[in-house]
Amino acid sequence: MLRRQFVIGTSLAVAAALGLSACGGGEDQEAGSKTLRVTLANHVWTDNIKKALPEFENQTGLKVELTQLGEDQLSDQYNVKLNAGSGDIDVMMYRPLQEGKLFAKNGYLADLTAKTKSNADWAWSDFQAGPVAATTYKDKVVGVPIITEQEVLYYRKDLLQKAGITAPPKTLDELKAAAAKVSAANPGVAGFVARTGKTAAVTQFSSFLYSFGGDFVDANGKATVNSPAAKQAYAFYGGLIKDLGPKNVSTDMGWPEAMAIFTQGKAAFYTEADSLYKNATDPAKSKVADSVGFAPFPAGPAGSKAYNVPSWALGVNAASENQDNAWKFIEWATSKTQTLANQKAGVPGARTSVWADPAGTSTYPKDLADAIAASTPTGVGHDRPLVVKVAAAREIVGQPIVDAITGKDAAASADAANTAFQTFLDSEK
Amino acid sequence: MSASTIESSARPLAPARATPTWSRWANDHRKWLFAAPAMAFVAVLIVFPVAWTVWLSLTDAEGSVRAEHSFIGLGNYLTVLTDTTRFWPAVLRTLEFTGGVLVVEVVLGMAIALLLWRPFRCEKWVRVAILLPLVATPVAVGMMWRLIFDPNIGLANTVLGWFGIGPQPWLAGEQSALPTTMLIDIWQWTPMVVLILLAGLTSLSDEPLEAALIDGAGAWQRFRHIILPLMMPTVIVAILLRGIDALKTFDILYATKGKGGGSFHEVETLNVYAYGLSFDYNEYGISSTVLIIFFLIIVGSMWVLTSRKKEAA
Amino acid sequence: MRARTPFTVFRVVALTVVVLTLIAPLVWMVAASLKTNVDIYDPGKALAFTPTLENYTKVLQQANYVDFIVNSLWIAFASTVLSLLIGVPAAYSMSRFAMRRSALVVLMARVIPAVSLLVPWYYVFSNLKMVGGFSVLILSHMFVALPLIVYIMMGYFDGLPLELEESALVDGLTPIGAFRRITLPLSTPGIATAGILSFIFSWNNFMFALVLSGADTKTLPVAIFDFVGYASIDWGGLMAASTVVTVPIMVIALFAQKYVVSGLTAGATKG
Repeated sequence: MLRRQFVIGTSLAVAAALGLSACGGGEDQEAGSKTLRVTLANHVWTDNIKKALPEFENQTGLKVELTQLGEDQLSDQYNVKLNAGSGDIDVMMYRPLQEGKLFAKNGYLADLTAKTKSNADWAWSDFQAGPVAATTYKDKVVGVPIITEQEVLYYRKDLLQKAGITAPPKTLDELKAAAAKVSAANPGVAGFVARTGKTAAVTQFSSFLYSFGGDFVDANGKATVNSPAAKQAYAFYGGLIKDLGPKNVSTDMGWPEAMAIFTQGKAAFYTEADSLYKNATDPAKSKVADSVGFAPFPAGPAGSKAYNVPSWALGVNAASENQDNAWKFIEWATSKTQTLANQKAGVPGARTSVWADPAGTSTYPKDLADAIAASTPTGVGHDRPLVVKVAAAREIVGQPIVDAITGKDAAASADAANTAFQTFLDSEK
Repeated sequence: MSASTIESSARPLAPARATPTWSRWANDHRKWLFAAPAMAFVAVLIVFPVAWTVWLSLTDAEGSVRAEHSFIGLGNYLTVLTDTTRFWPAVLRTLEFTGGVLVVEVVLGMAIALLLWRPFRCEKWVRVAILLPLVATPVAVGMMWRLIFDPNIGLANTVLGWFGIGPQPWLAGEQSALPTTMLIDIWQWTPMVVLILLAGLTSLSDEPLEAALIDGAGAWQRFRHIILPLMMPTVIVAILLRGIDALKTFDILYATKGKGGGSFHEVETLNVYAYGLSFDYNEYGISSTVLIIFFLIIVGSMWVLTSRKKEAA
Repeated sequence: MRARTPFTVFRVVALTVVVLTLIAPLVWMVAASLKTNVDIYDPGKALAFTPTLENYTKVLQQANYVDFIVNSLWIAFASTVLSLLIGVPAAYSMSRFAMRRSALVVLMARVIPAVSLLVPWYYVFSNLKMVGGFSVLILSHMFVALPLIVYIMMGYFDGLPLELEESALVDGLTPIGAFRRITLPLSTPGIATAGILSFIFSWNNFMFALVLSGADTKTLPVAIFDFVGYASIDWGGLMAASTVVTVPIMVIALFAQKYVVSGLTAGATKG
């Protein structure tokens, strides 16, 4: 008994000593304006910026305090902090299509219009028009796009060859036939995999929807997820996964789970954002790194219409008291040099000049660069409904996807989703 | 404890000094002097959030809590209580989860406690094993089980394979997800029930049991007619303590299925639903309403159990 | 000793099954943390694999885990000590003067759903310029620890005989003096139980830390979630991180086994 008390006493004393020493470093209350608080998502982009950060700190004499969070925790933190009107975030990495409208409407994002025009060398006009539109709210610039995404087809060259298929499928019908052929020839390998989670799948499903000739909302703002094209697209996407997807497929898969199946060699075709290609071609992460091929999104009845969107942007917290320095960081992180460096490291950016520069795509697999170039002209500027409450909208329009995957009546589900979506749209007006 | 009793009473006590006035005052008011800081602490941290939540539940607040919102009376309560797509299923899931894990944990816990009741060799190691799940960090536990229940690479399906049973979807299945999360809860918290019941068993007096043995009562009869009635208050305490936590389960559900409790909301309990309403949909009015109803459900079930405990005692 | 054979055999078998079921998942977690990601995906290498510390190096280097461990320790320690300071006297008063209704006020903290506290707390604390520091996390963890301590200590004081205090009063001590010199030393085991449990609960807390911690104050459970980031699903790293979170608290629990057990079972044996 005495001995045990001694042990506890010692460990508490150690804990206290450790704790006190931590306290000294942590609780400097008045973080002066020389300290910039930057909140970023876990992403390859963030890793690259982190490495280059000393350069920025030396140039400006500012100290950057970086918080890095997973996607979900990031939005939870924003929802609490910005909601409370807190100024302890200066620069924030956010998803223009997911939270952009909500944040802008709530006044969380500072107006950057004047700042974007202040420096001609930095060249705001160099940014692609689609992404810029997504970071503009009511004619005010509220963010600078940093990462762009398109949907492309990932496939396994070796499996296709083995099944006697010489070229990647050009249309969705060919994709279905090829997937069936490959999986028949390779037991244990699924013909096709893609995201299956109700909300996670919406963005990757969107290219299918557009290529069948549909969209979430029509020009008059009416819900159209039960149009004949949409019904076909739901049935096609769901059917592809149900019939040719992995066995025991879960309806929770986001990209990490779907990507894992592909990179473990358990699937022949995979439709996904190009910005994630490093996961498939990096031998440390992928078992099939040397046999991955890329192709433009296969054409449906309405042609090949992949989304082409800005997935992440940097904004300035409207409640920040350090907005000028925050802008300095953004200007540096989105400069041509940094954009090029990031793009070389596998993160597609939003600058036209970097895409035009051969160095910008020099590190890309050639077929991926070609696929991106081929689908840019027909790209659609959104990959989810453009509304304020995106999370809720994604749940509504995603329901028919999971219903189709689990073999329920996709058409009936699309009708129900359309009614619900219309009510939702009306409520936002 | 007996050792320390002797030690401290052996120590010479300080001679009584003339007591200054402030000390007399402190001694006269020690009841509240002692209790007040803790009560004030909780009250200060709780009053504003509760008042705020009640107020929001009567408004149409959405998007941001600082945005303009207007008073709409009990409108949210009407909306929530008539919502059969999300709210009532979440209530049912909460009750199913809580009821399910409580029944299994109490039955299993009683069985294990009975096995551990009489001393045996290696007792210490068994107790260590029982303690480990209990102190493990729930978020880490959630991650661990996600890997174990992975349909393709998980240990669970490998083990089933040894017995010739085909792979199961576990967390991934629409029907199997909730029972699977219940399994995780049972794994982590049955040990706590075991420890509580074991403490109860150890404090039982031997006489009634010996009398029953002499009367020739079988093991089951002794359990059913002697042990169980004597243990009833302890069982209710176990249910009470576990029940509050089970109703409020969040970490494991969030770590295994994420926001919204899966594509079909298959593990969306009231707590997960309220979290989603706040942080995913920014529907602060509705969210506050759900939280208040949820709070009333917890308090109500505690009240029922406490009164049962008084009856049983 | 009489019915040795059949029951003993059954008991050994049953307890073995119980112990295996409880331990196997944790062993699996540790095993996976010692595998490369390629081995994790290979069912053939479930048990036969070459262990590697690669995941741990990755976890400890990339994510400043040492800082997070120190944060978690400091927050758990400070919140436990402060809660004991105000919780133990309160429990004493509530036990001796049978203040059941006042006790309910404190226990309310355990009942209220944490979700309803997050936004209002953040709102208040950020206006007080407290967010991002340790104080707000310590306060929120005290909110978890305090009801636990009051509940356990009330049970403990209920069980302490009054006679000793009374004789101390006869010897000339004031009531507060009697509490300080007689009751407190007698309660060391109870205080240890309550303290260790509140330490464990604080260490394991996720929701408050998720929202209220800043760059410098992030705790371990929140840090694990960083591995589920945008860039990859890294099971090896996740399991290593989970092991890093779980092992310290398990070691503490093992050393303090007896107190933890009596703490968890507090109140169980009274009507």
